[in-house]
Amino acid sequence: MAVTAGHRVGRLERRERLRPDIFLLVSFLVLSALGILMVYTATAPRLIAQGEAGDVVMRKQVVFVIIGTVVFLVSSLVDTRKLRAATPLIYLVSLASLILVLTPLGDVRAGAQRWIELGASFQLQPSEPAKVAVILALAALLARDSDGTLHWRSVARAIGLVVLPAVLIFRQPDLGTMLVFGFIAVAMLFAAGTSFRQMGFLVVASIVGTVALFQFKALKVYQLTRLTAFLDQSSSLENANYNQFQSEVAIGSGGFLGKGVFNGTQTNLSFVPAQATDFIFTAVGEQLGFIGGALVLGLFAVIIWRLMLTAVVAHDTFGSFIAVGVASLIAFHVFVNVGMTMSLLPVTGLPLPFLSNGGTAFVTMSLALGLAHSAWIHRAPLPGERR
Amino acid sequence: MKGPWRVAVLAVFFLGLLVVLTLRLWSLQLTEAAEYQDQADRQQILLVSTPAPRGDIVDVNGVLMAGTRPALSVVVNRKLIPVEVEESVIQRLAVFLGIPAADLRQEFEDHGSGARFTVADEIDSADALFLAEHTEDFPGVAVEPVPVRIYPLGVTGGQFIGYIGRPTEADIEAGVRSTDRVGKAGVEREYDSELQGEPGAVKYRIDAQGNILGLVNEQSPQPGGTIQLTIDSAVQAQLESALADGLQLARNAYNPTCRPVQEDPKCPIRAVGVVLDAKDGSVVAMASVPGYDPTIFVDGVSSDEWNELLETAVFNNFAIQGIYAPASTFKAIAYVAAMEEGIFPETAVQTDTGQYFCEGLLEFRFQDGSPQVYRDWKADGHGPVDLHTALQSSCDVYFWEVALKVWRSSGQYDEALLQDWARKLGFGVDTGIDLPFEQSGLIPDRAWFDEQQAEGSGRVRAEGGWSGGDLMNTVIGQGDVLVTPLQLATAYAAIVNGGTVWQPRVVAGVLGADGEIAIPNDPVILNDIPLAQRTVDFIRQDLQLVVNGPAGTARAAFESFGPGVEQIGGKTGTGEVIKSADASKEVDTAWFVGVAPVSDPEYVVAIVIERGGSGGRIAAPTARQVLQFLMLGEEGVTDIAEGAEAD
Repeated sequence: MAVTAGHRVGRLERRERLRPDIFLLVSFLVLSALGILMVYTATAPRLIAQGEAGDVVMRKQVVFVIIGTVVFLVSSLVDTRKLRAATPLIYLVSLASLILVLTPLGDVRAGAQRWIELGASFQLQPSEPAKVAVILALAALLARDSDGTLHWRSVARAIGLVVLPAVLIFRQPDLGTMLVFGFIAVAMLFAAGTSFRQMGFLVVASIVGTVALFQFKALKVYQLTRLTAFLDQSSSLENANYNQFQSEVAIGSGGFLGKGVFNGTQTNLSFVPAQATDFIFTAVGEQLGFIGGALVLGLFAVIIWRLMLTAVVAHDTFGSFIAVGVASLIAFHVFVNVGMTMSLLPVTGLPLPFLSNGGTAFVTMSLALGLAHSAWIHRAPLPGERR
Repeated sequence: MKGPWRVAVLAVFFLGLLVVLTLRLWSLQLTEAAEYQDQADRQQILLVSTPAPRGDIVDVNGVLMAGTRPALSVVVNRKLIPVEVEESVIQRLAVFLGIPAADLRQEFEDHGSGARFTVADEIDSADALFLAEHTEDFPGVAVEPVPVRIYPLGVTGGQFIGYIGRPTEADIEAGVRSTDRVGKAGVEREYDSELQGEPGAVKYRIDAQGNILGLVNEQSPQPGGTIQLTIDSAVQAQLESALADGLQLARNAYNPTCRPVQEDPKCPIRAVGVVLDAKDGSVVAMASVPGYDPTIFVDGVSSDEWNELLETAVFNNFAIQGIYAPASTFKAIAYVAAMEEGIFPETAVQTDTGQYFCEGLLEFRFQDGSPQVYRDWKADGHGPVDLHTALQSSCDVYFWEVALKVWRSSGQYDEALLQDWARKLGFGVDTGIDLPFEQSGLIPDRAWFDEQQAEGSGRVRAEGGWSGGDLMNTVIGQGDVLVTPLQLATAYAAIVNGGTVWQPRVVAGVLGADGEIAIPNDPVILNDIPLAQRTVDFIRQDLQLVVNGPAGTARAAFESFGPGVEQIGGKTGTGEVIKSADASKEVDTAWFVGVAPVSDPEYVVAIVIERGGSGGRIAAPTARQVLQFLMLGEEGVTDIAEGAEAD
């Protein structure tokens, strides 16, 4: 009967149920559009100088955005209940891909083995979807175990779920992504109701873990260089700080209103490295000024606000935890990335969600946002279902 | 979800992170924006300077003495070569220029990163075209018309024209770019700022790799100004040829086989001359022989040749840097002082025409009673003389008596009266000529003597004070008196022009675009001495008689002068040089100062031949050639021949 009843849901009711979060959707689209523009301005002058078409990179980004938008829309409609059932499989596939990237199939670039070649012009970075897989796995675990408080056993399981992929990612090495996992885990565990003692344990454990990494010289030289260069702010331009210094100059010289689109001499003249990817925010800061930068940060604030609201109103705790996880994922990415471009934080190589040029990251973020959005769309109980 | 407060805490925390970012953004873009904007501008502009053609130097008639010629050169600007392609550019360029790549790489390294330098001079136009058509293979390599300095007259006037070279550390600190050339000597140095011009600047916008993205603006170089000299290159050439003849004459006469080096005191080493405009102090010609061609500083010279040039100190302009005892030429100064102050020998009638018997020696006693005997250069004396004939025949004794008169005057005359006259006429201080490295010479007096004695400089006796004998030596231009040929010429010009001491100058001014003098270097009067007309008339006449009179010391040297010799005046001098170190006597310094025409003097010619011997025998014939050229033209110059041995 329930099934038949489901079919009889009235048109109005149905529309009510599937009403999307306009705030979230608009923020997502505006950021993505802005990303296309910024990627274009940051890559076109250099490409043209090299005698290539100026829009090659931008066109790719457009494709990413289209794919990402489709992924967002589709995942928004995914029933989280079915997703919950599929979570263990997703988690295992993700782990497998992380192992795969460490095999000779993985592609080494800039000293890091992070990519898997899929065809001539497409590479997959398994650490990106792994973020979603970990969020899903944690959400499933916490939704099952949490009753407002959390048993030590559950905390240990949660840590286990995170440490497995984190260690694999650390082997690549990708320090930034590993930290993302840690941040997400702590945020989700906190939402799940960890006691102060458990929180304290988590903090101590992460400090001990970090010290151990340094102690056993597990960090790659370039990671240490970045970190120490960041700590020694007086070091000269030649040092690893050059990137950040140029980025700071770019943003600072933008002023309140910015230099105008395509007038960003710093980003357009490629003084800023990785200007279309990790340092895309400098293109915003330089060309659109404080107004543009604040708009971007404001849109991220809207997304986080909507996600946290989703966490509160979601129909089930699984969806709730997904929303918390995705919010922390985005918050951490934004904070670390934008903080890096303004010399608040060391260079870690985390892309800015929805703006940075890069397919895997964009699609992953769209997917994560879509899944959280699904929790919003499906927040009302199905007919006959109890709240 | 249970406990929404936990979600709220997380939300506040996440949004807090965004607030932190916004605050940081505010501080960067509003508080510190200006600073970052400056920084951004600085690193995006590349300034490439283009050298300005150096100004010309022309003589009084517009004859080019120093100029620039554009040579097509291959210029490398390392700033414009992306680091990653530099090696391939070196390889290609080495093949193109036909030089080993290793040498070229070394040259790159020697100049340093970001340097701009020439790797090949004077390539032909086909090669230039090839480079221009293949700029993409040679980034940062350009064919440029690099100005090359030329000196069309070669050795003529080399010493006062000077030369250019790389800037010193001090120049660079003062703002000269290391790639520029600066004047090192002569007019090239003194008028460097006028000749330099303003280098042009091309501003490019560049990216982080140093690739040029576009031209911001371009400022063409402003060529340096053209300097017009007071020098007449024709007179200059004649002076130099006469000096060379004179030097050869001296060698033939005294030491035909010697090698002219500083270390051989018996070998005539150089001849120096100045031709001055008596009416305004303009230098018409100025030379010391042997000289050098400034082109060697452009084209280079072998080390053997270089050492030979150094051996005879050719780079020094001895007309202003050489200091010599003026010897009897200095008697003209005592003569003027005697005429103006009325100082005559004790035993003579107290007028300039009062007779005095000039014996071959002077016996007298100093105040302390010690008997002294001073011997005239002419052992059998000159017989009866007055002031005028004493000058004509260069009687030492008469002028010693003048010095003794001052020395013994017990306060009637200032003890330094005669030296003061010398100083008024420009001795003992720089003339201030517009050339570098001028020497000031020395007019000794008691104060100087005491100072040297106290310092123990070795230049004066260790015992006893300034004496009458020192003053007597000074009056006849011996002892410690030191003058430059230019100072002597300047003083003679003043004496014969009525008392105006003109500051000598070699530059008439800087020419404007129309070829007329735009910034004149006007003549400057150093001192205006109101000489009595009688004094001026008499000195002109007496100098004329040195050349034309029966007892004149230069008579023999001017016998072949030709028409107009009666308009020539002058004074010979033979300076004794005692080397205190080994007491071996150098050959004397031969002097002649000529004046022409004596009725209204236009030129003063001062000639000194270092270790040239007798002034009458060697220096006077040398000056004669120059005076012939000035008065009679080129055709009037006759071959050099020895004059009579005379003081």
